[in-house]
Amino acid sequence: MKRRGMWMGLLVFSLVCLLAIPCLAQRGVTKDTIKLGLILVKTGPVAALGLPNGNGMVDYLQYLNDQGGVAGRKIEVIWEDDSFEAPKSVAALKKLISRDNVLTVITTGGSQQTMANLENINQYKLPNIPNALMKEFYDPFQPYIFAMGATYEAQYETIVDYIFNDLKEKNPRIGVVYEKKEYGIKSMEAVRKRAKAYGVDLVSELVLPTGAVDASSQVLGFMNDKVDYVVTCLLLPPTITFVKTAEKYNYWPKHIFGFNWATDDMLVKACGGAAKNYIGVNFVGAWGDDSPGIKLAREIAQKYNRTDISLTSLYINGVGVSWLFGEAFKRAGKDLTPDSLKAALETLREYSTGGVFPPVTYTSKSHAPGEMVKFFKADVANKRLVAITDWRKPKEMK
Amino acid sequence: MTSGFLYFMQLFASGIAVGCLYALIALGFVLIIKATDILNFAHGEIIMISAMICYFLMAKYQFSFLTAVLITIVIAALMGVLTERLVLRPMLGEPIFAVVMITIGLSIFLRSLAGITFGHDNYVFPSPFPKEPIHLAGITLSMTQIWVMVSTALLVIIFFIFFKYSRMGLAMRGTADDQETALLMGISTKRVFAMVWGIAFVTAAIAGISLANVMVVNIGLTFTAISAFPAIILGGLESIPGAIIGGLVIGVIENLVGGYLDQAIGGGVKDVTPFVVLFLILMIKPYGLFGKEEIERV
Amino acid sequence: MVIRSKTFRESYYEDIKLFQTVWIRVWIFLFLILLATLPLWGNPYVIYLINLSCIAVVAALGLNLLIGYTGQISLAHAAFIAIGAYTTAILSSKVGLPFWACLFASGGVAAAIGFGLGIPCLRLKGLYLAMATMSFGVVLENVLITWDKLTGGVRGINVAKISLFGYPLDSDSKIYYFLLVITVLVILGIKNLVRTRVGRAFIAIRDRDIAAEVMGVNITAYKVMAFTISSFVAGIAGGMYGYTMGYIHPEHFTLLLSIQYLAMIIVGGLGTILGSIFGAVFIILVPELIKGIARFSELLIPALKGKYNEEWNIAAFGLLIMIFLIFEAGGLHGIWGRIKTSFKNWPYTY
Repeated sequence: MKRRGMWMGLLVFSLVCLLAIPCLAQRGVTKDTIKLGLILVKTGPVAALGLPNGNGMVDYLQYLNDQGGVAGRKIEVIWEDDSFEAPKSVAALKKLISRDNVLTVITTGGSQQTMANLENINQYKLPNIPNALMKEFYDPFQPYIFAMGATYEAQYETIVDYIFNDLKEKNPRIGVVYEKKEYGIKSMEAVRKRAKAYGVDLVSELVLPTGAVDASSQVLGFMNDKVDYVVTCLLLPPTITFVKTAEKYNYWPKHIFGFNWATDDMLVKACGGAAKNYIGVNFVGAWGDDSPGIKLAREIAQKYNRTDISLTSLYINGVGVSWLFGEAFKRAGKDLTPDSLKAALETLREYSTGGVFPPVTYTSKSHAPGEMVKFFKADVANKRLVAITDWRKPKEMK
Repeated sequence: MTSGFLYFMQLFASGIAVGCLYALIALGFVLIIKATDILNFAHGEIIMISAMICYFLMAKYQFSFLTAVLITIVIAALMGVLTERLVLRPMLGEPIFAVVMITIGLSIFLRSLAGITFGHDNYVFPSPFPKEPIHLAGITLSMTQIWVMVSTALLVIIFFIFFKYSRMGLAMRGTADDQETALLMGISTKRVFAMVWGIAFVTAAIAGISLANVMVVNIGLTFTAISAFPAIILGGLESIPGAIIGGLVIGVIENLVGGYLDQAIGGGVKDVTPFVVLFLILMIKPYGLFGKEEIERV
Repeated sequence: MVIRSKTFRESYYEDIKLFQTVWIRVWIFLFLILLATLPLWGNPYVIYLINLSCIAVVAALGLNLLIGYTGQISLAHAAFIAIGAYTTAILSSKVGLPFWACLFASGGVAAAIGFGLGIPCLRLKGLYLAMATMSFGVVLENVLITWDKLTGGVRGINVAKISLFGYPLDSDSKIYYFLLVITVLVILGIKNLVRTRVGRAFIAIRDRDIAAEVMGVNITAYKVMAFTISSFVAGIAGGMYGYTMGYIHPEHFTLLLSIQYLAMIIVGGLGTILGSIFGAVFIILVPELIKGIARFSELLIPALKGKYNEEWNIAAFGLLIMIFLIFEAGGLHGIWGRIKTSFKNWPYTY
């Protein structure tokens, strides 16, 4: 008995020692490799968003490797799954830092996950581009977070501007359908505020949760209130449900608007003719665009056998994020550390990703995104979205 | 008819349609609870998997809607029987908590398995029903909604006949009533349980296919099962008519609240209402509207 | 002359002793030393996971008191943890109270609301009770989102850094000691509670409530008390969670979290202290362990590289829960008991 206990003790002790061996090498960078971490959801219901996004990032970095790497270094990515839970995301970050010894974690997940990781990001100096659009990421200034796309507020301000300026409406009847999540509430408040600035009150504000079985009461409510312009602040699946339900009741508002998480070719494929009135904004180009950046994204997808990407806009988004990091690695050159990487990202001025993102500018004072979006309209015949405007910002309101 | 009344009727009608969906989901839960006292947490997964199977049969393998539905139902029934045989029979006689936990484990397992097999994309079900809605006395209803109502009604009638007149149905009712007596009467409770799980999974399959027609098919479909909880409780856990009525009531209340209160108060009262109603009903009737009140002896 | 075997007990007091044998004392002491030295050899990842486990242990203990000991099924545990976490967040960042005040207030507020929920739930039993508590959870989540003046709504809320008499606990290993001490205190507290009159009353209610009432146990008082104490513990777990994460959001506390805690106590073993600890550690650590094994086998077998799907980890986790329960319905505590008996009776194991 006693013997056995001793052996067990020794075994535990030796295991513990094995686990505890600290890595002494410089973090994540050797002569010919760069080790990167990536935290994005791969499992569960939200994986539909995480997978195409992460695949885009990984594929572009692989493409860089196949081009000969960056400054003689090959890039290795370790993609950790967080199941879209904040505690797991933090655990994954700690693992990437202490176990895998990565240079940086290029994305630490969605908004909550990044917020929960904020302290670690600063402590370990991890330049990263979150897969989320919160104002809190750049205001107040966060030294290691580089915000990527127009915030929800900016997107919806541009949409309201579009109704009043491009469509020249004087007194439109606007209805908002939103979800009681971070993006939904922020967006709804932005629409309400912006419309107020034009002197118009919203006719109707309704909630539609993602798992809702049915959107009848929302559609009927809008019909009853004679809403002309429906602004959706919903993810893609409920947007599809809403658009299809509207078709079912033969309800055709002048336009249905949506934001970046819903503006994807998938919407047109799913809704067919029902999407003919849909106009969406997005801060990445559409899959069918002719711009060099999107062409490259399509080539990369083909090269790495991504035959059926369900949400192409997210794939493009991922390619864009890796693109910025690839450029920063190039600019940082041989001496690659978290701080030199940060400095390199801060040298980007009106940097063009060939239509993937709007021109990108980061300075050492501000990591704010360009707040620019493009408007896309459904091309029902070809089952895709086509751009109808160039990049544009919300108007300065006096 | 005034437009106000029409609006009310329209909300009511679509509420009934949604209620049928809830009722279909609730039916599967209640069947299992009635016979075995187990709340099957993996029910949502079966709904989702059936929807996925039906989608893939139609989209990938080009089956017609009816054949796809039939194959899905057969697969679901097989899954039910297999689940009972492999997972639940070893737990016979174990504490009820452990058995419920087994179904939670099963739900985790099945959800991941579905993610592996079917992928994480959003799929749009190629609905076989015509898109043109039907107008009945000024009320608009889509063909999908009408078919959901019809199939729910059919299912209820079939169940009624099955439980009332068939030998197996009688055996099931007997087992649900008193397991030991049923055993003494020569009923094979093992076979009855396998049958119950099979039938419950079939209703899940029908619910899944109906949901696929109105929603986007993805892994998130599993969580619709939770939205049927108020319906189950409202009707009482062990009552099949209760499940149907509970589903319809919740569907209608939800839609009316969505159509009137959501406009006035705002802030998504619609989603909370079923749960508040559920809570209030339980305060008045602790066993739901039609639940079996337990008489305990010490 | 009396020949005493190892498990021979002469009085009831011996039967409810905190530490049954000297050896248990020794083992626990050694284990505590191991835990106390953890920051010396563990890396931040391991420490962080242990931190999460500590929080889960406290929360699971609270739930086990309600479900395992008193037999009242609740699916509102995540809601009480949320109440605790938000109380801590608001008091620490907006009012600036010290940590002990925050933790007590978290427990207190959660206990008060638990008391309030316990009274209308008195008549309910079994699944009906589970569903009533579940609807409380759904409503609370909505309140957290809607009442954004107080809770920050969907923007979430920051929790102020914890400081111990002016000494900031700013790293994982410092917070670790803080969590460990609270966890040990809660374990001791509950362990003592269940061997008192109150604990016995809880168990009597679980086993047969009518019989308990006949024997003079005041069911109303004890049921409500179980709710209150369980919520108090959940509130403290919430406070610990808030301090560890530094940022909380309504979506952290969904129904799925309640189900996760339910899983912890059932997998661990209902109605046992050790079971709650086992279960909590199992649910937190095993997925990470599976992940690690998967990564490792990927390195060993290069053919797997790239083809591997993370979903397998979770599927394996679900399968593991099922296998354990089919093997032993008493959960991990039951398995532990089996192993112990077979060692004790060796070589006469059967």
